[in-house]
This record gives sequence, structure tokens and C-alpha cells, in this order.
Amino acid sequence: MNTMKWLIKREFWEHKGGFFWAPIVFGAIMVLLVMLSLLAMMFGGDKTAQMNGMPLWDFFASMTDLQKADFARISVMSWYGIASTTFSLLYGFTAFFFCLNALFDERKDRSILFWKSLPITDEVTVISKAIFATMVAPAIALGVAIITSVLALLLTCLMLVIKDVGLASTILALPLTYLVPLQWIAALPIYVLWALPTVGWLLMVGAWARSKPLLWAVLIPVLAYGLITWLNKLFQFGWDLAWFQSHIVLRMLFSAVPGSWFKLQPLLIHDDRPELMLSGHALEMLSQSWQLVGTANLWIGVAAGAAMIYAASRIRRWKDEG
Amino acid sequence: MNTNTNSVVSARGLTKHYGKSVAVDCISFEIPAGRIIGLIGPNGSGKTTTLKAMLGLIPFQGELKVLGLDPRTQRDKLMKQVSFIADVAVLPRWLRVREAIDFVAGVHPKFDRAKAERYLKNTKLKPAMKVREMSKGMIVQLHLALVMAIDAKLLVLDEPTLGLDILYRKQFYQNLLEDYFDEQKTIIVTTHQVEEIEHILSDLMFIRDGKITLSATMDEISERFIEVMVSAENTDTARALKPIDERQVFGKSVMLFDNLASGTSRQQIEALGETRSPGIADIFVATMKGTYA
Repeated sequence: MNTMKWLIKREFWEHKGGFFWAPIVFGAIMVLLVMLSLLAMMFGGDKTAQMNGMPLWDFFASMTDLQKADFARISVMSWYGIASTTFSLLYGFTAFFFCLNALFDERKDRSILFWKSLPITDEVTVISKAIFATMVAPAIALGVAIITSVLALLLTCLMLVIKDVGLASTILALPLTYLVPLQWIAALPIYVLWALPTVGWLLMVGAWARSKPLLWAVLIPVLAYGLITWLNKLFQFGWDLAWFQSHIVLRMLFSAVPGSWFKLQPLLIHDDRPELMLSGHALEMLSQSWQLVGTANLWIGVAAGAAMIYAASRIRRWKDEG
Repeated sequence: MNTNTNSVVSARGLTKHYGKSVAVDCISFEIPAGRIIGLIGPNGSGKTTTLKAMLGLIPFQGELKVLGLDPRTQRDKLMKQVSFIADVAVLPRWLRVREAIDFVAGVHPKFDRAKAERYLKNTKLKPAMKVREMSKGMIVQLHLALVMAIDAKLLVLDEPTLGLDILYRKQFYQNLLEDYFDEQKTIIVTTHQVEEIEHILSDLMFIRDGKITLSATMDEISERFIEVMVSAENTDTARALKPIDERQVFGKSVMLFDNLASGTSRQQIEALGETRSPGIADIFVATMKGTYA
């Protein structure tokens, strides 16, 4: 257990830039942009922005309480939507390259010979990298995303208070404002399980490839897809190619993007109508995420991911670096 | 050769192929505890492969036990008692001195933090320094400080002082002998600077083309090998005794004899002229003749 703690710390030391500073810088830029647009609205809102043919501030002031509640809900949801999408993509990108290089770079710079001189098994080493990518680093990114979102919302409320249009209290009284960040946290266990196929695949390719791991990692699933498409055409098998694409190819490459299950698990009821999305139905995102627990897609992915993580540790055990 | 249960390393028919080429060719040897063994051989002779086999880094054929364990199947257990420096400085570039010490202290039950810090005090390394900011020599210093602070039963050093200047090299071997080594420990070291480790070795092993060409204690070596400056009238007599090497110094022949190989005795050689004990380097060069031909 102690060894695991130090291995996680070791990953943090090495990847502080990508998993700690990058989200912070990204969050800071977002808050800055929000601040700039708020300032622009405060000082130029009457001239530039129009709502229903009215200058912005007059429109806000003219709204009924019901309209205000709707407007607050839409604003909060859109803001959380933007924050979660951008942070997810940033994290998915960082995690992809982390997993791909985790077992490759140590072979390239031969530092594997140092790590292997210590009493740490290959299994524990590889598992520590998977834990870092699926639990520790996402928790950091999530923390930063929540702080960023809350800061931006508070700044918005501050502006609304200064302008005295009465929307701030509506926003702060919305359950959504507090529930969405909690939902994100509650969906984290799903992420851990969902991300495993990509994490395992990339760790395995990184442990195995002599060079150009990115090329191998992308080429193998894409070529497999091409081959199956070709065979399917040639022999008229009538295979479900879309299924293969979303359950195998994309699962291998994009599962490390948080929330990618909304796109890749077709069993979930999809209702993209914006009015549903924005009027509190978004709260169902959490229950939708947890619905995955009942799908074979999730559990077969977990098994495949675990098998590939184990394979990565076996390859690391025996690969001769010359 | 009997398998000695007290052996730290015991190899029987150890073989390693890379494709069709044989890197290690069915070698057998025993290394008892409390020795410092120099493993000497030209590049590509199989010494690093032999060490890697012992450290469980590569698969191999034959029988090999290190501290009674099979490095193929019991590596995890083995690494609790073995430490090693492989080849050159291999510390990751992002690592800081302080992190390196914290990490090894955290994962290695036999690491003595105070000892490592004591070694580092004698260097220019600072706790916040990253490996990428260090000179090659400094990286090796850090690595050696880490490894020397681990109380391992077997320490394997493959070219440990490569890139270090002469002052630190001497210091290192001095520390190794005085601070680190005791009769419970065994050290296996390979190096190209043979003369530097000569005085600390207790055993010598020459390896060539994947075969052990010489394996003896230093006492046996000084018994076996003798160099003589042969006076002109004795030259033919001396040559008849089959020296393993002959060179000319100031018009006189200097011949190196392996008493075991030529069946000669010390007295016999001493009668030929002025004798001296040859260095390991001389013996190495003589026995490796033709390696690069």
C-alpha cells in the first residue's frame, strides 16, 4: 500500500505539468474570458446586446419571476455544459498521451532499468499508472473544473448584483447550481470503469511498441475496422459495422474522455432537445451514467481493459531493452 | 563444479540466444558470499547479458540461482535483496534529488536515508536539482548514493563509474570497500578501467564470446600468472615454455606465463630473469588476444 502511495506520487511529480498546471491555467483562462465578457456586458451591454428587441438590462428588469427562473436555469446549465465539455476534452487528451507514453518513455530513456532495480513488481507499477490516469488525475481535473465553474458563476452573480436586476438570488436559489458539480463527482466511479479499455490498450501499446506508439495505437483499430468493412462487403456478411465502430474502435481510443459514454453507449435514451437538456433534465445525466452499470458494454470493457493492463505488465516484465 | 548452497550466484549451463547468435554460451560458475568479483570482457562478450539474466531482466536457458531464487520466476522476491546499476546513468530526467531520495526511502525497506544524504553532502548536488540539470558525472553520483545506501545482499554494478572523473572514481571504490562492503555482501562489478578496481577485487572472471575463459581468486591469479623479463640467452628456453604473451622492452623480451596452462612453476620462471606480478590489464590483454582480429 505504501509502495502504491509512492508510485502515485512519482507519477504526479513527473506529470505535474499536464495534470495539475494545465487544468489550472486552462481554468484561469476561462475565468478571465468570463470576466472580460461580463465587463463588456456591464459597460456596453445596453448598446451591444439586445434581447427580444430590448436592451439587455431593460429586458432583465422586465422579466417575471418565472421567466427569471427559466433564464437562470438555462444560463447555469449552459455554463456547466461548456465547462464540463472543455475540461473533459482537455483531460481526455492529456490522459490519452499519458497512458500511451507511461510505459514507452521509460524504455526510451532507459530509466526502466532504474525503476526495475527497486523492489516493486511490474504489476503494481502498471496498476499505479492506471490508477493515476483513472482516479487521481481525473479527481484533480474535476476539482479544478468545479472551482473554475463556481468562480465564474460567482463573478456572474456579482455583476448581476451590481446591476441590481435580481437574477443573482434566482441563480443561487437553484438546486442545479449545487447539484451539477456533485453529479460530476458522483459520476467519477463510472469514469474509472468506462475508461479502462482505452487506458489498458494505450498502456499495452506503450509497453510493446519499439517506436512510434501513437501510430500503432491508432493504426491497429483503424486498420481492423477497414479490414472488417472490406470483408463484410466482399462476402456480404451483413455485419453491424456501426456497432463495431462504437463498441470496439472508438472504445479503444476515446473512452478516456470523461462523459464519452453519452456518445458511445447507444442504449441510453438520447434526447437532445435543448429545452429538455436545459430545464433540469440534465440532472438525469447522473442516472444515465449509472445506468451503464447494467450494460454489457461497460463490463466487457472493464474485463478487456483489465486484461490489457495485465498484458502490459507481462510485456514490461520480459521485454529486453538491449 | 558442485552447486554450493551458500552460493550467492550459481549458474549451470546458462545460455542466452539472440536469434541465431549466442550471447552467453552454456556457462557455469559459482559466486560465494562475501566476495567482490570483477567480471571483465570486451564489448559484446556477454557480460551485460549474464548480469541481466542474474537480475531477471531477460529470459534465458539453463539453470541460474541468485540467493537461492530463480530470477525468472522469483524476481519480485529477489529484488528485495539485490540492487544494481545497469550500464550508464539511467535516472529519469524529470526527477529531483529530493524526490529520488523520498521515493527510494518510501519503497525500499533496506534504504538508509541518512547514509544517502551523507554521500550527497560530498557532491555539488542540491535537493531541488533535477536530473536534466546535472552533468553526466553528477547523475552517476546521485545514482551511486542511492544504491550505496541500500543494504543489499548482492550489488551488481555494470560500468558504474563511466563518465566520472578520476578523483571521484577513486573515492567511489574506496567508499565501496570501506563503507559498503562486508562479509555478508557480494559485489559484482564490470568496468573497462580494470586497473582501478584491481586492488579491491577478491575474484576475477574473464568472459569472451559468451564463455568464461578465466575464473579465479586474486590469490590464485597471482600464483598463476607471472611476468618475466627474459635475458637474451634464455629467450629460446623461455619460448619453449609457451608464454601466453611476449613483448619487447628495451631490446629484451618480456613474457607472460600462465603457470596453469603451461605447466610451469614459479621457480622455473624466476630462473629465466627478473619477474614481477602482472596487472589484470596485462593478463586481460594477453588472454583476449585475437578478439578483435
